[in-house]
Amino acid sequence: MLFLQLLINGLQTGAIYALTAAGFALIFGATRIFHFAHGTAFTLAGYAFLFAWRADWPGWAGVLVAVAAATLFGMAMERFVYRPIQRHEGSFFTVFVAAFGVGIVVQNLIGLLAGRGLATVDTSLSFGTEVLPEIFVAPILWIAIGTAAVLFAALTVFLTRSHAGVALRALAQNPDLIRTYGLSANGLSVLAFAIGSALAAPAAIITAMTSGLNEAIGHQVMLISIAATIVGGIGSLRGAALAGLMLGVAESLALQFVDTQWAEAVSFLVLFAFILFRPSGIFGVAAAR
Amino acid sequence: MNDAPTIRRRGLVAAGLSLPFIRSAAAQQASGEPYVMGTLFPMSGPNAEYGEAFTRGAQLALSHIAADNMLRRPIRLQAEDSQALPQPSVVGMNKLVNVDRAVWVLVSWTASSKAVAPIGDRAKVIMVNGGAVGPDLSGLSPYFWNVIALAHLEVPVLVDYLTRHRNVKRMALVYVDDPLGDAILGQLRTELPKAGGQLVGSFSVPRAAQQFGPVAARVRQTRPDAVYIASFGAQQSQIIKGLRDNGVTQILCSYSAFSIDSVRQLPEAVGALYTTQKLDFESGDPITRRFAADFRARYNQTPVAYHANYYNAAYLFGLLARQLEQANEEVNGESLRQAMLRTRTFDLVGGRGTFDDQGNLMTQMQVNEIKGAGRTEIVQG
Amino acid sequence: MIAYLSNLATQVAIFGILAATLNFILGYAGIFSIAHAVFFGLGAYAGAQIALLLVPDVVLACIVAAAIAGGLSLCLALPALRVRGEYFVAASLGLQMVAVTLFSELKPLTGGIGGLVGIPLPTLFGVPVGVLPVALAALALILLATALLARGSFGRTLTAIRDAESAAEALGKNVAAAKTLAVGFACAGAGVAGALYALHTSFVNVESFTMDYSVLMMAMVIIGGTGTLWGPLIGTVLLLSLPAALAFLPFLPATEVGAVQQIIIGLAMTLLMIFRPAGLVGDLSRGQTTA
Repeated sequence: MLFLQLLINGLQTGAIYALTAAGFALIFGATRIFHFAHGTAFTLAGYAFLFAWRADWPGWAGVLVAVAAATLFGMAMERFVYRPIQRHEGSFFTVFVAAFGVGIVVQNLIGLLAGRGLATVDTSLSFGTEVLPEIFVAPILWIAIGTAAVLFAALTVFLTRSHAGVALRALAQNPDLIRTYGLSANGLSVLAFAIGSALAAPAAIITAMTSGLNEAIGHQVMLISIAATIVGGIGSLRGAALAGLMLGVAESLALQFVDTQWAEAVSFLVLFAFILFRPSGIFGVAAAR
Repeated sequence: MNDAPTIRRRGLVAAGLSLPFIRSAAAQQASGEPYVMGTLFPMSGPNAEYGEAFTRGAQLALSHIAADNMLRRPIRLQAEDSQALPQPSVVGMNKLVNVDRAVWVLVSWTASSKAVAPIGDRAKVIMVNGGAVGPDLSGLSPYFWNVIALAHLEVPVLVDYLTRHRNVKRMALVYVDDPLGDAILGQLRTELPKAGGQLVGSFSVPRAAQQFGPVAARVRQTRPDAVYIASFGAQQSQIIKGLRDNGVTQILCSYSAFSIDSVRQLPEAVGALYTTQKLDFESGDPITRRFAADFRARYNQTPVAYHANYYNAAYLFGLLARQLEQANEEVNGESLRQAMLRTRTFDLVGGRGTFDDQGNLMTQMQVNEIKGAGRTEIVQG
Repeated sequence: MIAYLSNLATQVAIFGILAATLNFILGYAGIFSIAHAVFFGLGAYAGAQIALLLVPDVVLACIVAAAIAGGLSLCLALPALRVRGEYFVAASLGLQMVAVTLFSELKPLTGGIGGLVGIPLPTLFGVPVGVLPVALAALALILLATALLARGSFGRTLTAIRDAESAAEALGKNVAAAKTLAVGFACAGAGVAGALYALHTSFVNVESFTMDYSVLMMAMVIIGGTGTLWGPLIGTVLLLSLPAALAFLPFLPATEVGAVQQIIIGLAMTLLMIFRPAGLVGDLSRGQTTA
């Protein structure tokens, strides 16, 4: 019974991880920018929803505001931070430090504006009821899994059927080709950031309802997204999502076997082992070198 | 919940405006260089909520000292951001001691306190902690004092109350494995059997952990009557919510860390119990009443134990320095310590408190229950 | 004021060592590690335990710390031999996160989250000595070693690996040995910094060895300029003295002081990267060719 309960908890967390990881993987796959501020987009979306909720806006309006906040932030990062840097030097860590600086600024601004400490969206959706003996399930579980499934289906259709989606995938493999076809690499890059960041918004809203928000919440989200992208295989959206789900489940199921303090380390041990023994990830095709 | 941020903002503006006011008002009454009192609190990062609360308590004490003309010289409050981390604390403490020449530094947070204690010890600067309750903070230095009851005083009171009035037999513990969590684990192990109960499970969680659904599942398995939470900051609210959302309906309890706003405002925390030192705002004690009334007027907020502790920590300087000024002695770390050892017992917010040889304030404890929307009630005085 | 500045200088020297050694693997060998704080921590625990259990001799503490950190650097060298670029970043991230858990749990060695207190003041062959001169000497030695190694054939091998690993291998360079040695040198240096830090603050706990500190060291190197001798040092001075200088701003209300300082630091980091992406002393033209 404990196993089933842990699996359910893990799936709920995993769906959130999958959404953020997919966003990160989409951006990284298309633009090769290691978007360290992805966690910041997550934080902004969460607080945007929180403010809307506190102002008694209807739920759908809150979701729109959250998606808009994340999307605008992602696009602004691409336009005003990453693009100027990449014009000079595409150095991996230059991007890293710049994004890290933005993260510090946003985190402290939120602290100033929203007040410090934990803030939650108070709703009965996150409240678990006993559906089977000893098994507690909250409505938010179905929302999390449903949202993740619908968004992945939509994303897959977009990337395989639509013109822009196909171009996005081509951008990753051959930017020059894009140019020959008269498409704008810059425009596609902005598109990747917009979609990728928007994917963080539902995850942020669900987090606001379950474990709550604080200024520094984006940090852990970022780490998990990186881990999932690598474990899933760079460039594979499906892999990143699946790996995110897997990391969430692993973190939870680990409690069946080890003491609670080791749960977090388990995710990162999985990551470390994957890199040593299967660097191409679950679905990766390209060799690491 | 809805209007909390605006209240906060207003409070902050008030705090900001009143600081210069303290200085100028005091300067009119007294001549000479101001005494420098330093604060070393987390003012940024995930624990900044505490720093904000600590600072408010100290600011109110300074305005009372000035208003009462307690001292001949004014006091200047110098704030440094410790980020609750050792390295920035060391930088801040060095600045307070060597540049600002502070004679009295209000510190907080276990790691931060331990990192700065050697610096204050060498420079003979009084450091007063009113926030951290790890038992390892006792006896760090002759100049390091605690105006908060350390953990070993908190647990027995709660265990006594729970077993006698709430019929608790089985207790589980969710804790961060630091010296404080460790001490609480040890206390529960020894105190519960004495009162006819038992500790049925202990779950250590990493400091950075955010998801507590799985932990809740493990806690439920132990079938506890009450769950003790020994964490702090944003994490303790997450634990409360995680347990409540995932089927843990039993009593939740903790130590003074539950005093912060984000816990008391949390809907899931209603009914939670926590211990603090004795602090009854409705009592006849004039110092406590004045503190509570002025605090409400100034910050539009009901004060809690942390506000009172740092009020006491700052007010104590006024009491000791006045003694020294009247005896025409120089006010420095050594003379302040001697004055404290001579006096020992002080009338502070919450009632009379007595320091032991190591500089730990011994006070009586009380058990509080969270009633929702920021209100608490004393269930055992 | 002098004591204050001397403390700041000591911290600059210690973090200067960390930045310089990180720069050695990052700038010259192209090994992007976000786990440098792990080896800083290993050195700090080793140095602290030597001082607590044996003698607080600063040279002995540094040697033992360097040996332990250098020896365990194999944990980092192993993934470095297998993967590059983003994959290695993620591997070092995994190492960093696991190490923090281990530091918190191995209480007999590390004191757990409570840490190790009461580390005695350092001596040198029985004579009390300040940490500052020793740290400065260690920093000078490490900068000298970096300069010599970078100029010699070892340095040429490393830069060849950084720019084109397979080509270097084809030319008959022993890539595995060169990478392992470079990582070993850098981590041993971080260990020395750790021992000095432990003796300087008399207290160590896991909170000084988290990923945030790895990122801070990284930022010092990048802001100063990777692959340059003086860049990391300049980055260190900037990132440590900026918050210290901001603490002197007199007009901030006490409750907002931290947030405002952090916002200024974050803005400075971002703007510096946008306008000087190769770092303060980095060469823009070189950056373009290797990008």
